[in-house]
Amino acid sequence: MNLFGGTISNLENGLNYASLKNKTIAQNIANVDTPNYKAKNVSFEKMLSDAKESAISANRTDRRHYNFEIKQSTPGVYSNENFNYRSNGNGVDMDSEQASLAENTIYYNALVERISSKFNTLNTVIKGR
Amino acid sequence: MSIFTSMNTTASALTAQRLRMDVISSNIANVDTTRAKQVNGEWEPYRRKSVTMTEDNGQFSSFLNQAMGKKENVGNGVKVTKINDDTQTPFKLVYNPTHPDANEDGYVEMPNVDLLTEMVDLVSATRSYEANITVLNASKSMLTKALEIGK
Amino acid sequence: MAINPVSLSVANTQIIEETNKLSANVTPFEAQQSFANTLKDAIASVNNQQVQSDAMTNKLINGEDVDLHEVMITAQKASVTLNATMEVRNKAIEAYQEIMRMTI
Repeated sequence: MNLFGGTISNLENGLNYASLKNKTIAQNIANVDTPNYKAKNVSFEKMLSDAKESAISANRTDRRHYNFEIKQSTPGVYSNENFNYRSNGNGVDMDSEQASLAENTIYYNALVERISSKFNTLNTVIKGR
Repeated sequence: MSIFTSMNTTASALTAQRLRMDVISSNIANVDTTRAKQVNGEWEPYRRKSVTMTEDNGQFSSFLNQAMGKKENVGNGVKVTKINDDTQTPFKLVYNPTHPDANEDGYVEMPNVDLLTEMVDLVSATRSYEANITVLNASKSMLTKALEIGK
Repeated sequence: MAINPVSLSVANTQIIEETNKLSANVTPFEAQQSFANTLKDAIASVNNQQVQSDAMTNKLINGEDVDLHEVMITAQKASVTLNATMEVRNKAIEAYQEIMRMTI
């Protein structure tokens, strides 16, 4: 029996996206003075589709071979290569990043509220009280 | 990538901006220093210093990923790679024949520090620092909210 | 306008035939087996959720590649599944006790 289909798994995907976007925004704002740095961004659809790609692992013939897996550690992250906001080649628009930060925080908080409330509903229904 | 990745990124940025501010304050403090270091037995005035920042992507897996043509990593913040001397701008020549460091024509070589440029850089570093504090607060509030799932 | 008389006897036999069809292929043993399987599956899924939640918590403790909301959500799912299975168990035991209380 799958109690957690549909909306709850959508909420999980949304939370993953918001968390990844927060990391990219932090990285962009941290690199606002770095020459030739282009702003990074996350695409929701690409994140979902990249997550399905399989991992590549090493073919170990000896126990001492290093066991590493190369996987899409950050699916869905891309950068806009052509933007130049400053003469040093930096491509970060500070105002847009701040706005994205505020928007993303509110989005994340909203999703957390919703998923929390859905779990409480499930608990209430199950306990019957 | 742990749960504190974005906070580590922001911490690295705060360190870098503070280092930049230290360099700027050193420049401003030394605006009149005519004897900074000896070169071939002669005193040279203070050269303006600046920092070079690069994106910190230092893990092996990220280089491997890029070499294999895969998509990019979020990265780990910023780091200062070098504090370099400004050898491009020439020293300012000020006419002051009574100065002990004046040359034959009566000109003294003053450091190539331009106060206006330094003030603007200082304001820029302060604003970047404040922006990173905002990001830190946002990340902290998001993590605190996530802890309340199910309460 | 002819009113068709309702023929109770025909309807009755129809209903009885259909009930017979439904229960004809299920013996009490099979019913018990399918219930036992459902119960086993439910308990296995509860165990899986708890194991997953523990794995996530361990990753969190060691600072590995995990997100805080993932840990919290997995923990909540484990808790909800556990509650659900407990309630099912309670109801099943109640039903059993109710039946045992029936006087012949």
